[in-house]
Amino acid sequence: MLNVGIIGLGRMGRLHMMNCSHVDDIKIIAAADASKKALNKAKKVGIRNLYSDYHDLLEHRRNLDAVIITLPNFMHFESIRLALESGLHVFTEKPLAITVDECRGIERLVQKSGRKLMIGHNFRFVDAIEKMKDATEKGHIGTIEVINIEEVINGPFSHPAVPVPVSDWWFDPKKSGGGALLDIGYHLIDLFRFFVGDSKILFSSLDYKFNLLVEDGAIVILGCSNSSAKGIINAGWWQKTVFPRFNFRLILHGNAGYISSDDLIPKNPYVHAAKEGTKNLFRRVVGRKIRPLSYTYFYESYYKELNHFFDCIKNDLNPEISANDGLKTVELIEEAYKASDKNSFK
Amino acid sequence: MGTTVALVRSGFSESEINRSVSNAWNLISFSPKRNQVESVVIKANLCYYWKSDTGYTTDPRIIAGIIDCVRERYGADTQIQVVEADASAMRTKYAFPMLGYENLAKQKKVKLFNLSNDFLKKESVLVNGHEFTFEVSQSLLDCDLFINVPKLKLMRATRITCALKNIFGCIASPNKFVYHSSLDRAIVGINKILHPDLTIVDGLVALGRFPVKLGLIMASIDPFSIDWIASQIMGYRPSKVGFLKVAIKEKLGNPKGITTCGEDLAPFRKKFPRESFLFQKWLWDVQFGLLKLYGKIVKDVIPPSLEGI
Repeated sequence: MLNVGIIGLGRMGRLHMMNCSHVDDIKIIAAADASKKALNKAKKVGIRNLYSDYHDLLEHRRNLDAVIITLPNFMHFESIRLALESGLHVFTEKPLAITVDECRGIERLVQKSGRKLMIGHNFRFVDAIEKMKDATEKGHIGTIEVINIEEVINGPFSHPAVPVPVSDWWFDPKKSGGGALLDIGYHLIDLFRFFVGDSKILFSSLDYKFNLLVEDGAIVILGCSNSSAKGIINAGWWQKTVFPRFNFRLILHGNAGYISSDDLIPKNPYVHAAKEGTKNLFRRVVGRKIRPLSYTYFYESYYKELNHFFDCIKNDLNPEISANDGLKTVELIEEAYKASDKNSFK
Repeated sequence: MGTTVALVRSGFSESEINRSVSNAWNLISFSPKRNQVESVVIKANLCYYWKSDTGYTTDPRIIAGIIDCVRERYGADTQIQVVEADASAMRTKYAFPMLGYENLAKQKKVKLFNLSNDFLKKESVLVNGHEFTFEVSQSLLDCDLFINVPKLKLMRATRITCALKNIFGCIASPNKFVYHSSLDRAIVGINKILHPDLTIVDGLVALGRFPVKLGLIMASIDPFSIDWIASQIMGYRPSKVGFLKVAIKEKLGNPKGITTCGEDLAPFRKKFPRESFLFQKWLWDVQFGLLKLYGKIVKDVIPPSLEGI
């Protein structure tokens, strides 16, 4: 049994907390958050060791094996550093950190500590992406020449069912590290790397439609370092979209054909939810393990990435997404910021 | 004697909007209650960080047109403030720049002001036997001219939202969500305290089942009359709208004798994308009821973004 602590109980922290209850042989024994309300929610699901400061959680780590970190971006480096130095395995939300230097520091610490570190690049665990990866590895579309990847949504401005204000750190480039490019573009750039490997920035243009210090949109063109493949990235925070609609698509253009995520992602989220929900109900009735969050389609990837991380700890394997993946993605993002004209805060 | 609501068709360029605002103002022959107009407060509707062309917030170009009208009529030195209060999920310090209001303020040399940061006065009011105590901004009570600039849109909780609901947005406390269980009465309550002199409605892009370019500007001195007509444009019988019913009971407004001038409302009603809230509410309740039941039986995870439903 692995004992796990959660640092940060915002939306992502709570999602990971609930997902953990479906992972075999792990138990959340501690949680930290500055908000009393968030700690009360953790108490309700039976977590006993609660801390308002994550430093206290790490200090009282006696039985802990791993921590899940879902703090605001600017707190990633310090919390990951302290957790690794405490001898804990770390699962952290993306981005790994907000600067290349911090990412390099974390990579060195992981090597020194011998602990596992995995970053929440959950898109790689989305069913459609897994199928596309499988098809390209089998050569079904030949050599990849162009990849279009786009995600234009609300970002931090999505309106939850119970309204709460968007946290101030999102608007402060020193704390967030950037806007839509670092938040959403991060996943899209990682996906390009996932399909073609090492990459470089060919073009970058940032948008400031909201007149904030952080960009709300980014168009980036990437090139593969080892082939002629190019990627066109369109990331934005500026569209009002409402759950369960999710404006994301990935198209792989190979010289022998193409695959679009639109053909693999369920067309009707309600029909999909009903189908998957019924399957889970059946699994529950016959005593089999359910597929958590499969009814939501995209959210299932959060469960799958967590499951993979804990599998790696239990079986002493290297996680599919390493500190180096986080470092390379942040390097590309820094390059994209530099390549863009409107780069006032960097 | 009844009140008049002006309906003016507008184009979407700055000059056309300016002209239409001025026409609407003239059509109702507006004259302020106070002889001297030195300070003007304009209350926009910036409920969230979604731009005016999504149908949610007031178009800053309408505010610009109103500023020009004010200066033309009461002098270039008139002190003008464009105001909004923080809301449950929205902070004006971000909404002002994001929705183009900071640029407007620079261009027109007016002040932007967060009502939540003002000197606040506690006011109690009785509505249908229910007592509300609201904190309201002193600026709204003291100004010479208070102009209400709502957006024409639908809202699940109240069906329509326009002039009276925009005054609800003046409540200084950001946590207005607490009033949502008695929203109809709360809307009427705050309107018994705050009385705008003039209401000019942004119906350029209105929000029904989806946003639509309606190209409409409405004006009246009576927010109740505006809502009565707005409700008809949006396809709802006004006598069935909860807060309008409460408003009549509380003698905040009288539907008798409301007249329109300018354009006919029928073409706007035809163009407005109606929403069946009864069906929507039913669908919403069924969906989330099933989700909760499923979560309970299967013990599956419900994403935190759907918490509290």
